Amino acid sequence: MTTPKIQVQGLKKSFGDKKVLDGVDLDVLPGESVVVIGLSGTGKSVLIKCILGLLKPDAGHILVDGEDWSTLANDEQLLRMRRIGMLFQGAALFDSMSVWKNVAFALLQQGMGNKEARTRAGEVLELVGLHNVEDKMPAELSGGMAKRVGLARAICHKPEIIFYDEPLTGLDPVMADVITRLMQRLHSEFNVTSLTIAHSMMLARTFGNRIAMLYQGRNLKQMSPDELDSCQDPIIRQFVEGRSEGPIHLQGNRT
Amino acid sequence: MKVLQALGAWVEAVFYAAGRYPHLLIEILRRIKRPPWFPQLILEQAEHVGVQSLPVVLLTALFTGMVLALQSYIGFHRFGAENMVATVVSLSMLRELGPVLVGLMVAGRVGASFAAELGTMRVSEQIDALWTLSTDPLRYLVMPRFISAIIMLPLLVALADAIGIFGGYVISVFMLGQNPHSYLENSTLYVELRDMYSGLFKAGCFGAIIGLVGCAEGFYCQGGAQGVGQATTRAVVFSAMSILVSDYLLTAWLFQ
Repeated sequence: MTTPKIQVQGLKKSFGDKKVLDGVDLDVLPGESVVVIGLSGTGKSVLIKCILGLLKPDAGHILVDGEDWSTLANDEQLLRMRRIGMLFQGAALFDSMSVWKNVAFALLQQGMGNKEARTRAGEVLELVGLHNVEDKMPAELSGGMAKRVGLARAICHKPEIIFYDEPLTGLDPVMADVITRLMQRLHSEFNVTSLTIAHSMMLARTFGNRIAMLYQGRNLKQMSPDELDSCQDPIIRQFVEGRSEGPIHLQGNRT
Repeated sequence: MKVLQALGAWVEAVFYAAGRYPHLLIEILRRIKRPPWFPQLILEQAEHVGVQSLPVVLLTALFTGMVLALQSYIGFHRFGAENMVATVVSLSMLRELGPVLVGLMVAGRVGASFAAELGTMRVSEQIDALWTLSTDPLRYLVMPRFISAIIMLPLLVALADAIGIFGGYVISVFMLGQNPHSYLENSTLYVELRDMYSGLFKAGCFGAIIGLVGCAEGFYCQGGAQGVGQATTRAVVFSAMSILVSDYLLTAWLFQ
């Protein structure tokens, strides 16, 4: 059996009294695309932030290529980040820098010359379907363009693993399809491993090789899109069909 | 009961803040020994902290020196000691008013902008994004601001001292009719070099306070636009208060 690219074991994280993650286990195999679905506020973003080292887990392990990242020192962890790309929900572009400097940021920090980095940024922007935006500032971009620039920035340093945090939130259906296709293309062309968090079932079905649902701090099951459709678990059924009545205990509601 | 609750919340807030500043300071000191130091960013921040603060700082210093000459003249005139005006102006500018007033002005201008800028970057996940692009946000954002504040404050104060003393000279000589030669002589006669050093040393400390408080408030900011607003307010209030308190402590312990 191949070692999983990412292995999350018994991950726990609480904020104050609130247990957000309560023992999450998740495996992502090399070259695979896993989509984590779940209600808002079930800790999907916290899960990704723990894997990236942006939050310290209370318990549990995070193994990437068999190496435990949760115990690494800061500097070591930063070095490992070169193998990772991350697309943030709001794109999180640096608004003090032009588009091309945003895209080539990691390369420039690694000491690449301005000219070479700019060419490389242009290529990657071309790849996500953007032309002549290199010298624009992020504030001048529309939401969909910002997201594509964010995607370009995430892949510019050729990462092995890409994380997507709600990649389709806030986009119109056409742009959502454009981004989904881009993600699929990147996934198949560059042989990267992807971990996506989403609440869109459409994205989960089209982009996920496997889907995991996070509910009340645990993940229920990992399954393929087909299995998801035939799954009889009432909680998963309610989520997939998007009904407000059912066994799911909504925060703030009494059921 | 409500009063107790409010008091408790206030105490908690103070201790929370009090823990955050040393924490950030330790994180900075841990990193400062080894590169990268981002000299380009330090320069950019030095321009923002120093050069762009010049108009505000110099105007403050000029009028402070002028009013100081005027007020002390009124007082000394009552018992015929007008020639002491020059000494009072230069001593108080160098030892006290230069560093403190510049510190307070810069706390309002620069401390607030540190907190607002870093706070916005925090809530829009730009700080997290730096991390995922294998760049340490503390090194990249906090350290250049902290270092440039420490370097630029003494330089600003040196200029402010000179302008303030010049303001006092202008008022005394051209308005109050004092002898220019003896005014200049009295300006330096009772002033020691350590008066100036103490002021510049204080300025460096105030720079550290402004950089640390402004960056800490922004860097650990939470909760959207409202959070950024609160962080900015706290940055100005806490750094101004810390400047005044530490000014007393520095004077009492080091430079009596």
